[in-house]
Amino acid sequence: MSIVSISAQTLNDAQIRQRVNQAAAAMKTMQCDFVQTKHLKMLNDDIVAHGKMYYQQSSKLRWEYTIPYAYVFVLNGDKVLLKNKQRNDVIDVNQNKMFREIARVMMSSVVGNCLLDDKTFKTTIATTNGEWIATLVPQRKDMRQMFQKIVLHFNQQRAVVNCVEMVEKSGDKTVINLKNIRTNETINAAIFSVH
Amino acid sequence: MLRYFLCINLLMYVITAHAQVTFPSNEGERARYSAYIEMSRGYVSGVCILVNDEGIIKGCIFNEFGITALDFSYDPRRQKIHLYSVITMMDKWYIRRVLKKDLAQLMRCLQRSETSYQNVRRNISYLFTPIADEVTQ
Repeated sequence: MSIVSISAQTLNDAQIRQRVNQAAAAMKTMQCDFVQTKHLKMLNDDIVAHGKMYYQQSSKLRWEYTIPYAYVFVLNGDKVLLKNKQRNDVIDVNQNKMFREIARVMMSSVVGNCLLDDKTFKTTIATTNGEWIATLVPQRKDMRQMFQKIVLHFNQQRAVVNCVEMVEKSGDKTVINLKNIRTNETINAAIFSVH
Repeated sequence: MLRYFLCINLLMYVITAHAQVTFPSNEGERARYSAYIEMSRGYVSGVCILVNDEGIIKGCIFNEFGITALDFSYDPRRQKIHLYSVITMMDKWYIRRVLKKDLAQLMRCLQRSETSYQNVRRNISYLFTPIADEVTQ
């Protein structure tokens, strides 16, 4: 085990990208719990939310908050379902630029293949104990308006993302820790239903 | 038996009521809300946090994914809102003007424990439902 770890640490950027890409291609499904901590710089306060995430290759994602608020975001192909206490909405991502971007960033961050998206992000990769840390700096204007940077933490053994940090222009930061990650298990199709 | 359940229910109600501060009137108090703002062309939902900092209410509204939409403060004595930052896509002078007026009205409603406000002229409704504090920490 330690030999694998040492050899993983010596990988260069290109090899890390390749490993992540291979892992993303092999990941047919993924499901996990997540803990999202939003740090508010102005108020010096944190708010923590919990939820569940489901992914199915190549364009299905369910991001569901359960505590302290109920909110569901389901991406299925070109359609996005937004569900809260008040209402359900189905949006065509092709007709809504903002949701197209949100959906693309969420999906590619969770899977990790945004490392290969040179047009959207300038990426640097660092290696620490058991982790690859990829820092993604948005290159496009619309993304720069929202994020200063996005930091992805990859588990070296599995080459999958286990933490996403989103740092906003204001300095506010949202950290999403993915827990109990299970890959390539069958997920009920109803999970991704947008109706 | 019925009396026993009624007592439990009453106790639960009292505990829940204590957990939800509807407005941070005292120094250091915090209140958290599930925020829902509906306009004729769509809606914004997310979370609002209010903190009483030396008599001034500092607030932040962000969407469920954590993207900050607004940072503001409210002076209860002058009943004025100051907007510190507004997300780029909403950062237009005419939106700021409406937001300042509406947030001031909304803060006054929350002070009276009313969780909604409607700007009838512009057809915008604000619904801020308190989130239990202990669950979020």
